[in-house]
Parts: sequence; C-alpha cells; structure tokens
Amino acid sequence: MSATTTLRQPALVPGGSGRSWLSRPSGGWRQTTVNKAFLLPAIVVFVLLFVIPLAQTLWWSFTDFTGYSPEASFVGLANYRVIMTDPSMLAGLGFTLLFGVGTTIAITLLAIPLAVQLNKAFVGRNLVRSIWFFPAIPSMAILGLVWRYILSPLDSGVLNTALATVGVGPLGWLSDPTLARLSVILVGVWGATGWHAVLYTAYLQSIPHEYYEVAKIDGASARQQFFGITLPLLTPAIVISTFLLMTGGLKVFDLPYTLTNGGPGFSTYTITQSIVVSGVGQGRYGLASALAVLFTVAVAALSFGQLALTRYVERRFV
Amino acid sequence: MTTPLWRRAVLSIAMLALAAVVAVPLYYVLANTLKTQGEMVATPLGLPTSPVFSNYAEVLSDPRIYRSFANTLYVTVASVLLQLAVGALAAYAMVVRTSRFNRILASVLLIGFVVPGQSTLIPLYRTLVGFRLVDDLNGLVLLYLGGSIFCYFLVQGYIRTLPYELIEAARLDGAGDVQIFGRIVLPLIKPILVTVGIFQTMWVWNDFLLPTVIISSPEKRTIVLQVYNAVTEFTTNWPVFMTVSVVALVPMVVFFVFTQRHIASGLLAGSVKG
Amino acid sequence: MKRRSRLAGLAAVAASAALALTACSGGGSGDPEGVTTITFLSWTGEEQMEQVIDAFEEDHPEVRVEASYAPPVAEYIQALQTRVLSGTAPDVFVIAAENKTNLIEGGHVLDLSGEDFVEGVEPFNLETYGRDGKYYGLSLSSWAAGYIYNKDLLAQVGYETVPETWDEFLEMCQKLQDAGITPFLESVDQMPTTVSAWIGAKNAEMEPSLDDQIFDGESTFAEQWTPALEQYNRVFEEGLMSKDVVGLDGDQVSAEFANGRVAVINGGPWFIASLREANPDLDFQFSLVPAMDESGTPFAAGAAAPGYAINAKSDEAKQEAAKTFLGWLAEPEAVELFQSLTNDVTVTDDFEPPVDPSFEPMVEPIRNGQLYLPMIAWQRAEDVLNVEAVAQIQRMIRGEVQPEQVAKALDTKLAAS
Repeated sequence: MSATTTLRQPALVPGGSGRSWLSRPSGGWRQTTVNKAFLLPAIVVFVLLFVIPLAQTLWWSFTDFTGYSPEASFVGLANYRVIMTDPSMLAGLGFTLLFGVGTTIAITLLAIPLAVQLNKAFVGRNLVRSIWFFPAIPSMAILGLVWRYILSPLDSGVLNTALATVGVGPLGWLSDPTLARLSVILVGVWGATGWHAVLYTAYLQSIPHEYYEVAKIDGASARQQFFGITLPLLTPAIVISTFLLMTGGLKVFDLPYTLTNGGPGFSTYTITQSIVVSGVGQGRYGLASALAVLFTVAVAALSFGQLALTRYVERRFV
Repeated sequence: MTTPLWRRAVLSIAMLALAAVVAVPLYYVLANTLKTQGEMVATPLGLPTSPVFSNYAEVLSDPRIYRSFANTLYVTVASVLLQLAVGALAAYAMVVRTSRFNRILASVLLIGFVVPGQSTLIPLYRTLVGFRLVDDLNGLVLLYLGGSIFCYFLVQGYIRTLPYELIEAARLDGAGDVQIFGRIVLPLIKPILVTVGIFQTMWVWNDFLLPTVIISSPEKRTIVLQVYNAVTEFTTNWPVFMTVSVVALVPMVVFFVFTQRHIASGLLAGSVKG
Repeated sequence: MKRRSRLAGLAAVAASAALALTACSGGGSGDPEGVTTITFLSWTGEEQMEQVIDAFEEDHPEVRVEASYAPPVAEYIQALQTRVLSGTAPDVFVIAAENKTNLIEGGHVLDLSGEDFVEGVEPFNLETYGRDGKYYGLSLSSWAAGYIYNKDLLAQVGYETVPETWDEFLEMCQKLQDAGITPFLESVDQMPTTVSAWIGAKNAEMEPSLDDQIFDGESTFAEQWTPALEQYNRVFEEGLMSKDVVGLDGDQVSAEFANGRVAVINGGPWFIASLREANPDLDFQFSLVPAMDESGTPFAAGAAAPGYAINAKSDEAKQEAAKTFLGWLAEPEAVELFQSLTNDVTVTDDFEPPVDPSFEPMVEPIRNGQLYLPMIAWQRAEDVLNVEAVAQIQRMIRGEVQPEQVAKALDTKLAAS
C-alpha cells in the first residue's frame, strides 16, 4: 500500500503539477499579444464554420424555409410548437440516449484495459493494434451490409449458425426490438473501441516509466499499478474520450440508419434521423432547424454536465 | 523490465484470438472482393470458391481512380496539417494563460462538438459560395478546418499532463512563447499530434458527405466519391463496390502501420531527460 | 529532423499535384464558337451515362454536356438541394419523388408539356412529375415489383404459378409449409410490396383517386388502408411468414431465394442478373401480387423512374440546348441505347424494350402505367408518412399494434403536417 501512497504524491505525478498550469498569472502585454495571436486562427475557424452556420440554423428555425428557395417568412415559434405537440418527432429520444450512454460506458470499460495490453510488448502487437483500429476506416454502407448478414435473424445468419452449433437460437438479432437495440450498440462498440484505445495509448506515453520502476521496487502488483498509477494518470484522457463518445453517440446517424433503418418499429430510431427525414427528405427545413437547435442545446447540456462530472472526478483523483 | 516468456506468450495468444473475432467483418469484406456478384449472392459469407481478381482488374484499370487519389491526398495532407497547426497553437495558448477571456473561450469552443453536422450543411455550402470555393478542393480543405477544434481539445488535454516545470525553466531563461512552443512543447506533444493526425487523416480521407455536396466536376472527385460512383439506385455491384473501397483504404492501412509506432514508443521519458 | 523533411516533401508533392490539376481543369470554361455547354447532374451511374452523353455529343456537336454525378437517392437529393438553394443548380437535373413538390412549388423547373419529345411518352410517367396539366420531368422508364417464385418448389405442391387471390395464395403457403418448404419471405425494411400493390389496385378503380380523397379530407387512411393491412397481417397470424422479416432487407431475401431456401419472395427486375449468376439452374418467374379479395385484380408495386428536368433559372440559350438534349434522349435510338445499358423497362411508344423472359408478366403494367407506390402517389409529407408507415407496419407484424392503429397513426401524421 505504501507504494500507492507514494505515487499519489503530487510532486511525482505530472498530472498533479497540472495545478500550476491552471494558476498561471497573466504576463505583460507582449505575451498577451502573442497569446492572442496563437488563438486567432482557431477563433476564426470557429466563427466561420460553427457560429455562423448555427446562427443561420437558429434563424431558419423561426421560418418556413423549405431548403430550396432563399425566401422564407417568419413564423415565430410555430416549428417549436409542432415538435412539442407531435410525439413522433421525438420518437428517437429514448434510443438516442441509450446509445449515447451505453456506448460511452462500454467503450470506456473496454478501451482502457485494451490500451494497457496493447502498450505491452508481445508477438503480433502491431497487427493486433491495426486490426482493432480498422473498423473505424471502411464506410458505414459496407460495414452495415456485412453486419446485416452476420446478424441476420434467419437460420443462415452467421451468428445464428454459430449459436446453433451450441444449441442456441436462432435469435432475431435485428428483428426483435430489444436485440436490435443491443445489436446496434454492439456494432457501435466494435467500431470505436480500437479508436479510443489508440487515444489512451497516446496518453499512456505521458506516464514516465520511472513510476512503474519505483512501484515494482516497492513490490506493487500489476493490479495495484493499474489502479494506483495508470488509471489516475489517465483521467485527463478519460475526460476527453468520454466527452467525444457522448457527443458522438448522441449525434449518431449512419450506423442505425444502415443497420436497421430505425426499426423494427421505432426501436432504433434516432433524433438525427428525424432531423434528416424532415429537413432533407421533406423540404421542411424550418422544422428540421428547430429540431436541430433543440437537439444541440440538449446535447450541450448533457455532455457539458458529463464533462463537469468527469473533471470533478479528475480533480479529486489527482 | 523482464516479463517472463510464458506470460508474453499467453498475452500474444489471447490478444491474437480476440483480434481474430474483431476482424471477422473485415474478413467478409476482403473475401467478397474476390467473388462475382452472383457468387456473393449465393454464398455471401463463404470463402471464394475460385477467387476472381477481375474486380481488382476492373477497378485498377480505370485511370480516374489515380486522379481521385491525387485529389484526396492533396485535401488530406493540406487540411490535416492546417488542423494540427491551428489546434496545437490554440491549445498551447489556452493552457499557458488562464485569463477570463480564455476560460470562456475554452467552454464556447466545445460547442463545436455538439452541433449535428447534418443541420449545418446548407449554411456551410453558402459560405463556400461566398468565397467562390464551391467545386474546389480548397473549399473542402477550408471546411475540414472545422476539425481544428477537435485537435485543440485533444492537444490541450495532453499538454496539461506534461511537467510544467519545463516551461517555467525555459521562461526563466528568457524564452518567449514562440520559442517555448517550438522547442519544448512541440517535441513533447508528438504522441498526441501523431494520434490526432491519424484520426483526422482517417476522417478526411473517408469523408463522403462534404465531397458529394461540394464537388461536382468528375476530375475533382475524391476517392470516396469515386467509390460511390459504383452505386446506382437499385442494384449495387457489391463486390466491385467493396473492391474500390479496399483499394481506397490501402493507403490508410499503410499510413497507420507506419505511424502507429510513433504513438507508443515511450517518447516522453527520452524527451524529459534531453 | 529526417522525418520532418519527409513529411514536408509529401506535402509539397501533393500541393504541386493539386496545382497541376487546377491548371488542367481551368481550361474548359470558354466555349468555342457555336457550341453551348450545359451542366447536368446525373442520377444514372457514370459508367452508363457517359456512353449516352458521348452518343449525344456525336449527334449534336453544337451542344456539350458537362456531367456530374451523385449517387441516388438521399445524396443526390441533398447535393441538388444545396445547389438549387445557392443558385448554382445545373441546367439539367433529375426530378424525383423526394424533391418534386419543392422543385415545382419553388418554380425551379421548366414546363415541358408543349414540347414534341413528350408526345410518345406514357402519360402515367409524365403525370407523376407533373401538376395541373403541366409536365416538369421527362421520365422514360418505370420499374415494377411483384412476387418472384421458384417454379420447382411450387411444383412440389402442385402449383405452376402464384394464384390470383390472397386466400388461394395463403392456401398454397400452407401446403408449402406442410411440405417443409419456407413459403414466403417479404423484406419489410421498406413499404411491403404486397401492401403497395393492394392499395394501388384499389386506387385504380376509384374516381377521384384514393389519395385525392385522403388528402382532400374526404376519406382517411383508417378507412382506405385498414382492410389491406388486416389481410396482410393474416400471413403472420397464420404463421406462414416469419416475423423476422422486419429485420431483413432485399439483399438478404434474394440470397435466400437464390439458394432455394424459400419459394416466394418480393422483388423487382434488379434481382434478375444476380439471381441468374448466383444460381444458373434456378427456374424462377415474376408474378403480380395476388388480388386482396375476389373482386380485386392482381397488381404491381412500382413507379415512374425520376424524370429529366430543365432548370427554369438557366438562361435561354442553355434551356434551348437542354431541350435538344432531352429531345434526343426520347428518340428511339437513345432509348434503345439507354435500355441496353441499364435494363430499365422504357415507356416510349416507338421502342419495344427487350426483357428477361422471367420478367414478362410485369411488362404490360409498366408500359401502361398500372403501377402504384404510396410514397409517390401521396401529395405531401411523403417521407414522413413513409417512415411512419414502415415503422408501424413492423410493429403490427410484431404484434405490438393492430392494423387499424397503423392506419390511424398515418391519419395523425398527415393531420400534423
């Protein structure tokens, strides 16, 4: 136990010295100018590619804009009223939340141990690392097709054939609402775990070897090392990874769209699918914009809340 | 530092077995590139009975694919380098100075992550029309700069984990922000820059939505547009479609295999000493 | 140091390649004397369309077609939409079910009704992309979907073809099932072919049409659709088709059929080539969807292919050139060429398209416009209604809702739009 306490001492832990990053006093005007100059490109990009489009979307949400003719007339809150009164506009809310939270938790629990293992030396490491990462590459159209064959509810589906050899099934992977939700989440986890493991691997590099050397000399077990050194020092990475997972998960569109097209029924329908169907498919751009505005606010609230929570945990840990 | 051999062997076997399961869908993609459309319908999941290479021949004999490779290479290299530059500079500036302005800005920038992309497509397109960059590869590069916010976010998190004393010491030696960033921070954040570079390269290389909307001239197509060219309304020749995809991905595979060792090679230990 | 220079080198190579490309493409803008260049956003794939354009330019050297491509359906609609909105729309593009309302109401498309080239085209196709007697799209072909059956499997229980009524069809399914054969699989990832055909058959006998009545408020989905949905639900209630079809798409269903594992599936002409290739010994035939009851007639699901439209905002010279292009496309030689490249069943009266023998039963309905697809016949909120209908039908199949509730949900959706 002594090893762990030693390691948590701020002086030794780089994350601990992070405090001094936060308490930087501001310097003279020259440094301030340089600092602003460093920030300027990012601000320009942000205004041009996020603020202006978002403002435009906000304006359209109060109009009857069709997406075809630039003329649009102001309709006040009519679009928002439609969303509030038409329950099927929000039919995707439940699954969107489930997917966002479910994939965030599952991927985080899998990616951290995976990254730790992938950081060790073993035969075929590069191959294994590449394989885990590759699901992130091919287009969803192709992966959706392949997964539809694997998860086919028919006896001839790959998974059902495999299960039949142990006397289980056939199961309606994509035709039973609960299993369909599970399947979509499963494929989502398959697709992104390697990606996040790579992110964690990069952060593992910022943990100096010396810590582990000291811990070993003190007789800490692998388990103690993981919970005493690795996990606490990975919290900045966890903050970032979970934030990305949550925002990405709540915005998911391609995956359920190609795998189940929202079905069966509305069981894997997402909010983004609502936005796309009413905006692009229907030419009701004003309505789609209103939905997008509400959705942006909701995702912001959720993910900033989650970010605050993980940062709080980070501060307590380190 | 010496792990017993048997433990390494066990780890190897376990990791390879797990990877084999993960790779099953990728195997199906590859297997189907060696089939005809008919064979794929007959046995979508079997090994090709007599592998055909006609799909590859067909794809590689089309000169347009090489042109689209060049286009994609330009867009990817230009936009990823710019994204990394913009993101890393902002991350450094944000971390070394915690003025009120910077703190507010740090929260505001995160809005970039929560906007659903589908809803900003039309405004973005109109912005490009304003800049006369529609149907122009540089227009794509400009739009991909949105990824700078992603770079910024990952890099700032990484800089925070570095030992602050290094910068403090440099500052006492009289170094300015430009020198500190270039000489000290940049080498230290290499693992995360490479990682983010890989992520963004994958994204830009594979992106489909923006090129479909922005690019209309066939000679300016990116590789993914070229891939989707094989798609028609009802019938998709899946084997050819998969083959073009695989060909399009080969550079990514090579890129990843060559860059991944930079992510995990214990760079920090060396740099701190040096 | 070495690594950095390699990366810089890569960037330099890429940048110079791009410069070279811009230099090449910059040259094409100025037209030579007497040649008009029109831009065209094609719905048909490049492999086929390029040959058509080459043939056109040979016949009409005074017009040059600069084509670009976007894959149908969603990506095409999105690409066209952004261009129309920003005033960068091509001179010729495609009007489809998904964008016709917006294109027509926004005045973005030219009326083609007075032109010579629409004369020999099947009125059903023109009316699909028309309004108030005006035609906005030159649709030259149609597609139809019905049932595809395995002749050998049907023969095993004493049938030569699919029966003409639903009762008899279910009876046949029962016999197939008793013989240990999976009788029927219909992919329900989209609107079921059976339901489309039945509503279509009913619509054909109504005046004013079924959808006119629903959308004018004289009738409701509940009234018009409930009987068809109840009949359709029988195939599930009687256990003749697996409820798992809600998780199947057309590709999977056709793979089962190709391997002789199912007697009847739903489908269209796009399966023919791959079925023949996958299993050359398979003896299959298309048929219309059996009539819902004794009084009805067998019918097909289907629709007019998207039509070529001319940008109403292009200048006059471009529009004239565009008309030349459309006129040429409707000529028998061009139709023949297009047909040979795409295997579409064309609907101009001066060219008889050859079809695969198995598809024969579907040709007459196509050439006479006896087809129906709810999403295209609906007059507004098409996409929203379609998503709702498919989802609710899936729920009905799984036993979560009753047929009548499905129809009522559509009424609610329509009222909200």
